[in-house]
Amino acid sequence: MSQVRILLRKGLLSFWRNKAAVYITFLVPILLIYLFGHVFGLYRKDSGPTGIPIAVVNLSSEPAAQKLIAALRAEKTFAVITTRDLGKGATRPLTEADVRAGLHDNWYRYALILPADLLPDQDFGVRMKFLFNPRNEIESQMVNGLLQKTVFSNVPQLLGQSLQKNARRFLGDERFKRFNRTIANTVADNFGGDRDAIYRQTIAGDFGFSDLSRIDAKPELAPPGVPTGDGPPGLRRLDQSNAAVSPSPNRKPEIETQKPADIFSRMVKIETEQVAGKELKNPMAARLVGGYAVMFLLFAVSGSVTTLFEEKDSGVFQRLLSSPVRPAHILWARFLFGVILGLVQITVLFCAGRVFFGLDIFGHAGALLAVSLSAAAACSAFGMLIAAISPSAAAANGIATFVVLSMSAVGGAWFPVSFMPDYIQRVSKLTLVYWSVEGFADVLWAGRSLLEVLPKVGILAGIAAGVMLVAVWRFNRGRLFD
Amino acid sequence: MLALRKVTKRFGPITALDDVSLEIAPGEFFGLLGPNGAGKSTLMSLVAGLRAPEAGTITLDGQPVASGASVVRRNLGLVPQTIALFPGLTAEENLRIFGELQGLRGLNLKAALDEAFAAAQLEDRRRSLVKTFSGGMQRRLNLVAALLHRPKLLLCDEATVGVDPQSRNAIFEYLQRLNRSGITIIYSTHYMEEAERLCSRIGIIDHGRILALGTLDDLLTRLPFEDELTFPANSATAPLAAQLAAVGEITVVDGTHRFRPRPGYPLSAFFALAESLGLPPRLFTSQRPTLEALFLHLTGRKLRDA
Repeated sequence: MSQVRILLRKGLLSFWRNKAAVYITFLVPILLIYLFGHVFGLYRKDSGPTGIPIAVVNLSSEPAAQKLIAALRAEKTFAVITTRDLGKGATRPLTEADVRAGLHDNWYRYALILPADLLPDQDFGVRMKFLFNPRNEIESQMVNGLLQKTVFSNVPQLLGQSLQKNARRFLGDERFKRFNRTIANTVADNFGGDRDAIYRQTIAGDFGFSDLSRIDAKPELAPPGVPTGDGPPGLRRLDQSNAAVSPSPNRKPEIETQKPADIFSRMVKIETEQVAGKELKNPMAARLVGGYAVMFLLFAVSGSVTTLFEEKDSGVFQRLLSSPVRPAHILWARFLFGVILGLVQITVLFCAGRVFFGLDIFGHAGALLAVSLSAAAACSAFGMLIAAISPSAAAANGIATFVVLSMSAVGGAWFPVSFMPDYIQRVSKLTLVYWSVEGFADVLWAGRSLLEVLPKVGILAGIAAGVMLVAVWRFNRGRLFD
Repeated sequence: MLALRKVTKRFGPITALDDVSLEIAPGEFFGLLGPNGAGKSTLMSLVAGLRAPEAGTITLDGQPVASGASVVRRNLGLVPQTIALFPGLTAEENLRIFGELQGLRGLNLKAALDEAFAAAQLEDRRRSLVKTFSGGMQRRLNLVAALLHRPKLLLCDEATVGVDPQSRNAIFEYLQRLNRSGITIIYSTHYMEEAERLCSRIGIIDHGRILALGTLDDLLTRLPFEDELTFPANSATAPLAAQLAAVGEITVVDGTHRFRPRPGYPLSAFFALAESLGLPPRLFTSQRPTLEALFLHLTGRKLRDA
């Protein structure tokens, strides 16, 4: 037993003396838990995502349209965009063409069009169009649910207005006013209240629905995991409803018209149109594979640079540096090794994505190669920086574990960035993971060309160059080559 | 060939080399003898151009080493103290990489590899992974890896640490052959036996300073005695030891009396005294003064304890 005790003491002492092991065991998990708490918004008093941009095109002159927009603005989940910036402070209202371009270019992923016939003259009900680019599956589910909630909370008022509009057309203006005056007087006489106020409410189509709409209705999302066809799961209830709808004049084959089952939704006609990614066999995989490829690339490259320490400790550096080899040769060789390793790893992972999920990697080979190469270069430079700032291989492994996991979480490799708090979203854009994931999504989801992905390739190349410069500077001041 | 002029190197508050001046002629087998931490490896790293001194100059064939000029580096071969090889690669892959880094290509490289494997007696293990080699085999490969480009100056930094006697002998013989072929060798060690056996000239270094420099005979003449006699320390020899204290220095080390006679004291008198005390001659061993003794004389400490 005493032997066990002695060996146990040895184990504890050795562990305690190995500061890198202590940090990895205690400090790194604590920091990661703290950081992930921010990423997933655990420190917020409220819950759920905020500020997801949604474009709204209002072609309707109905006051109800403005109320609906106001209701959307009141939802913290959405950042409602209704105008286009023309520069120098000038703006103009968005058009459908604007939002289609914006959806395609990923400026926003959701758009609601309130048409001129929001309340049709020849029909009783409400019409609107919802365009979306479900680049983030989870986000799409959430947005669709919240959008339904907001719209349906305001449907009674809209329907009241629609009813009055049709009544005016049917009765004529004079009889319509007399009819409503009679109703207002009857209500006031029997239930109390001001006759004129009731008349104004009635003629505006508000039959007390404004009070109903203040009752917070919960969004009705499709259950997780329920298959939804090509559309996002949040639209399932609409997709699966049975009522017939009038076809849109310019309706494309992929446009679906929904027919809700309840009393209000039977009168609400929402056309939905997926603007991008319709042709993808497995949209989720397009994002998933890219995110995980970058994370594992970071792990692989960071791990490989620790061999620099092994070579230093073994005396190989002494041998090399006493020959015509310079420190810069060693560093750049290691950087290029990381780039090649990364490129091969990404290729293998995307090939696996092709086999398992049917990812279209050959249709966009040029753009995919450019993003992969720049991402690999950025990851390799990052690995070099970790080696440059670490005093030992063990410390480098600890730092790499912490930074790779943090950067993957913050950069959106696991979880849509749009679900994170605003300040995390701003930090996200400082990470190479964000730009890599976005670059891969541009290619695999949006089918962008080489020319179109060049800005993101440029950002990644810039990150690679900048980080590598810092790494070389640190190497020159560090003790790796002592 | 190699000249160090007033070289000083510091690591923070520690002065690793202190105003060291040294000249090594072509063809010399120069030994740098000193305990661990004496400054041997620092001196080697400065000569190899791995570090720059704070003061002083180091030139190889008139060219400053610190300049990092290719011609200087191509004339140097360094055998590091550690096994500076890639363990996951084969012996041939290792040597090929180091040879190519030295600019060898084609037939020249092939010839250099053949020669190296023959010298290391590893021809039949060319395609084996280095990590499967014994310590002695790795040491031999470590040595020949520094010789592929046929340097003029070979720096061996404690090249036989942890090597079995058989491999050590093989390495010594190879180094002596190299030296005879004209290669200048600087060999650092803390084993006086190695320095005595191999080196034509020896520098004794401690605390960053060269304490003594010369051939083995030159150095030993600096000792204030010429010979040393040893005999067992026991009750039978105690009377002899007591009388010898008057005619020389007598110490007891590890159960053995060491007697260093004063200059001029005839050994015949010693043996006559021993015979008169009934002690047979086979008890006595006559030893030549050693570098160990010189180091003790110079520093007041033993080489192995320093």
